[in-house]
Amino acid sequence: MNPNNETCVQRTRFVFNYYEKKEWLAGEKPPLVDIIKVKDVQPENLRYFAEFMHTRLNRIAEMMDILLKVHDDWAITGWKDHILMETESFDFNDSLKALKEHGYHDDEFVLKVEYKRKWGVL
Amino acid sequence: MGYVSSAKKSTTPSGGWSDLWRQEDYWAVWLGLTIIVLAIVFWSNGINFMNWIVLKIPSYSNYNTAISYVSSHKITLLTLYLFFLILFSIAVKALTGEVKRFLVGFTFLFLLSALVSVWGSWDVMKRYNIETPLLALVVGLIISNLFKIPNWLSTALQTQFYIKLGIVLMGASLPFTLIVKAGTTAFAQATIIALATFLTIYWTGTRVFSLDKRFAATLAAGGSICGVSASIAIGGAVKAEKQHVSIAISLVILWSIIMIFILPLAIKALHIPPGPAGAWIGTAEFADAPGMAAAAAINEQAIKTFTLMKVVGRDMFIGIWCFIMAFTSVTRWEKRYVGTKPDALDVWIRFPKFVIGFFVASIIITFLAASPHVVTSKALDNRIINPIIELRNWAFIFTFLSIGLTSRLKDLASVGWKPFAAFTAGVLVNIPLGYLLAVVIMGNYWITVK
Repeated sequence: MNPNNETCVQRTRFVFNYYEKKEWLAGEKPPLVDIIKVKDVQPENLRYFAEFMHTRLNRIAEMMDILLKVHDDWAITGWKDHILMETESFDFNDSLKALKEHGYHDDEFVLKVEYKRKWGVL
Repeated sequence: MGYVSSAKKSTTPSGGWSDLWRQEDYWAVWLGLTIIVLAIVFWSNGINFMNWIVLKIPSYSNYNTAISYVSSHKITLLTLYLFFLILFSIAVKALTGEVKRFLVGFTFLFLLSALVSVWGSWDVMKRYNIETPLLALVVGLIISNLFKIPNWLSTALQTQFYIKLGIVLMGASLPFTLIVKAGTTAFAQATIIALATFLTIYWTGTRVFSLDKRFAATLAAGGSICGVSASIAIGGAVKAEKQHVSIAISLVILWSIIMIFILPLAIKALHIPPGPAGAWIGTAEFADAPGMAAAAAINEQAIKTFTLMKVVGRDMFIGIWCFIMAFTSVTRWEKRYVGTKPDALDVWIRFPKFVIGFFVASIIITFLAASPHVVTSKALDNRIINPIIELRNWAFIFTFLSIGLTSRLKDLASVGWKPFAAFTAGVLVNIPLGYLLAVVIMGNYWITVK
């Protein structure tokens, strides 16, 4: 197919959640499991949370750096529990390749792909 | 093919309340409901404006009759043009910002629509069954396949926008009780056909032609659920490649255009009554706009049963289909990007919002018809519903011309034979199965839907 005949626009959306990963691997402990709705929360629980957040936010920042390095047209929105990076001008496969080449795994981000018609397409 | 804005591209954040003025679907709702409210306000104040601006060219055998009719209605035509131009320009300003180019393009499109309407009312055209919708499509196809469409015109060729507006206005002519009653039958019938067609295209694509599962699912969705909207929704849900989604869209458009000509011919050859004919087109056509062109080539009843089958029976459920496909994608197929799991919220995100406008329009008119303030139902028909139907017909002519003017058949055909063959296998199941259900089994029911 002639690449100029593309009839759709692809929107890639990376969601970087601060606290939750989609899947916790063996040996990993969710950061808020000993805090939310827990009686007698201990200082070490907060220290574990702080340590987790420090590591997690740095990982997110590094992933953002990588994506910004491979492409400069991202809409980045900050939310209370996640960062959202979106683009309509860079294929999601290339973004994934860049993250994976730097050792990041599927469970560290949520990838959503959406398509829409190009303006005027039936 | 497809209009590409010349404006500087940069990705803007998605979601939130801004969708209300940044999405074409919502604008179809706002403009459609504005027209309906205006019709009610004018009527309640005793002003006959809506009946005055709609121009319905009468059938004629002598060109002088047509010329004198148009000459005596110049002011009406100009007012109608300004009415559409003002409404559409507000939407275009919010959607793309390219109002100046739209103004030029729409002026051309309106003049061409008026010309096609006049030509289509010639009794010779009617004698040869060349109805205005088909004429608009043919004129558009000839122009776009012989000449390069300039950018200023492309800006105005917003097929989806016009058809969605037309469908919202369509709601005003369908009682809500009818939508609920016939919608259930339509859904049951459409689901049987959609499942059979989906499985045929998917099975043929993966087993016979060894296509990628996601590609096959995107093709199957386009051929079975609701055309281009389904292909892009399922393509995103299963993370299909961009080029595969583009191929699926091209195939949907190609087959839709072929069907615009085949279905009305088959319906006339088989002497199928308008009600069942519209219902059959509702399952056999792949996209809203071409389906409406085929139904409009039959008559008003066919337009109604087509809308019930296509919009209420099929389009509304795209979100649920997406959810099922996304779930299947991550649980049954290879785990690609496990970080993404289907989200029930996607059912709402994928919901075609213009359908809300269609329902609201129907509810408004249904309540108005039941109101003690309405003197007679005839007054309601003459002062509100009929002018809305005429405005809807103009929106449909813009749609049919836009289909033709944006469809370069050479480009659409260059998709590769394997996906074409897989899609065609679905067509070969869809058409006879739709005939069996809509005409043979449920024909007596659809005849009564008026």
